[in-house]
Amino acid sequence: MIDTVELSIMVVGCFLSMCMFSTLYGKSSPLYSLAEESYIGFATGLSIVMNLMYIYNTGFVGIMGGDWVLIFGFILGVMALFRVYTKYSYVSRLPIAISLGAQLGLALRTQIYSGFIDQIKATILPLLSGDAKAIVYNWTIFLCVILMLSFFFYTIEQKGSIGVSAKIGEYLMYASFGAIFAQTFMGRLSLLVGTIQNFTVPPWKKPILIACMAIVLAALIALDKLNLLEKLTPEE
Amino acid sequence: MMSVLKHFAEYDRRIVYLALFLVVTIMLMTPIGLPISVSPSTMQYYDVLEALGPDDRILAVLNTEFSGYMEIQSGIIASIRVMVEKEAKICIAVAHPEATGIPELVLSAIKSTMDEHQYTYGEDYVVLGYVFPNEASVASAAQDWHGAIHNDFYGNSIEGTFLDEINDWSDWTLISDYTTGIQTTALINHFGLRGAPMIVNGIGVEISILAPYLDTGIYKALLQSMRGGAELEYLTGHPGPGMTAMDAFTIGHYLMILLIVIGNIGYFGYTRNAGRNVE
Repeated sequence: MIDTVELSIMVVGCFLSMCMFSTLYGKSSPLYSLAEESYIGFATGLSIVMNLMYIYNTGFVGIMGGDWVLIFGFILGVMALFRVYTKYSYVSRLPIAISLGAQLGLALRTQIYSGFIDQIKATILPLLSGDAKAIVYNWTIFLCVILMLSFFFYTIEQKGSIGVSAKIGEYLMYASFGAIFAQTFMGRLSLLVGTIQNFTVPPWKKPILIACMAIVLAALIALDKLNLLEKLTPEE
Repeated sequence: MMSVLKHFAEYDRRIVYLALFLVVTIMLMTPIGLPISVSPSTMQYYDVLEALGPDDRILAVLNTEFSGYMEIQSGIIASIRVMVEKEAKICIAVAHPEATGIPELVLSAIKSTMDEHQYTYGEDYVVLGYVFPNEASVASAAQDWHGAIHNDFYGNSIEGTFLDEINDWSDWTLISDYTTGIQTTALINHFGLRGAPMIVNGIGVEISILAPYLDTGIYKALLQSMRGGAELEYLTGHPGPGMTAMDAFTIGHYLMILLIVIGNIGYFGYTRNAGRNVE
């Protein structure tokens, strides 16, 4: 038995998604604007509620539990809101500076290791020990790093052996960019597949998907024939 | 001939989107059951999950918006199902407001497995909701868990749950990150870097960013996008959204390869020749 709430969510979600795809029609569409602005509205509303809940659960509950230092967080939060009041907007600089400084301090302390030192360490590998697969893998990393780094030797004229090395490094980078593009495409296709799959599994959803596609397409054609597509689309 | 090549070189890009949309929709509506193979990285991920036991405590972080969930839902559901089968204790945390509804979807998808293993809320699993909005929140949870997190998603105190045994990062057996990249760096920096074992299920565009952390040893395993999720479903013997999407996924890739070939024929046959003629 299909739950009424689930059915409503499915119908609204499917219709708005198909409205989003109306951009493929090639003209400005009020249906696209409807879906876009609905999404922004829903997402903003949800974000506000969830963030207020976070403040309550982390801040209020903490203070009530005796963690008085959290009061400073509230004071700084209120000070940050002064940004919207031009006359006293300078008050907001202090909490912004503190939060930026804290974030930067937290990130810098650790990012140097995870994003830099550890990455360099991971390229220092045993080249002669281990099984054949590991040796090939380690040599590949070692050679690729050396060849690609040589491409960035800007203080030396790139000719002779350095030039050859830089050229090979350049092509290796093209190959890795190709792999990254392929992964990006895989990701985008997965998003599309996941979105459409949401409207095809379980099978009772399929007729709703087809109906929404037909309704949106019919609406687009009708609005286009009546020259209403541009007129009804809100300006940016 | 030249007009065909010109068409290949200059066709409207919306044709690509429309063709992909139609291919994906048709394949999802009428799947044909193409075979899939399991990659070594998924095997590695599966081995980490297989090694879990009833004494293990897992922090599963949904580092995703709702759109990203569509891509990695198969990996999330399959991973948490294995954790339940291993009877590990699971804490689900969220790093994006949009993801607060996802734990309910995941838990309802594996309800039969949870019932089979008599999973009890509080004792075996806890849903925290949106607790990681920024790096500072992740850092404080890693350092002083109960100082940073007081309530679960439903507004109840986490005291009296299995989270009483958690004091800091070192009390977690595994950090399982499902990510579009929101607080992943923070988790790496404040949990992984300190030594908490981490595994990750990332969306396609994140894989090239996440993969180097496998070599550094911070990640024990990486599950790649929807494809990895489908492979994990295959390994665990529970077909789900990943496997049912693989036909559309595979044919979508074939279509893209075809379009790239057509575009290249157009480029070398028309655009480049036209350029040469002008010169």
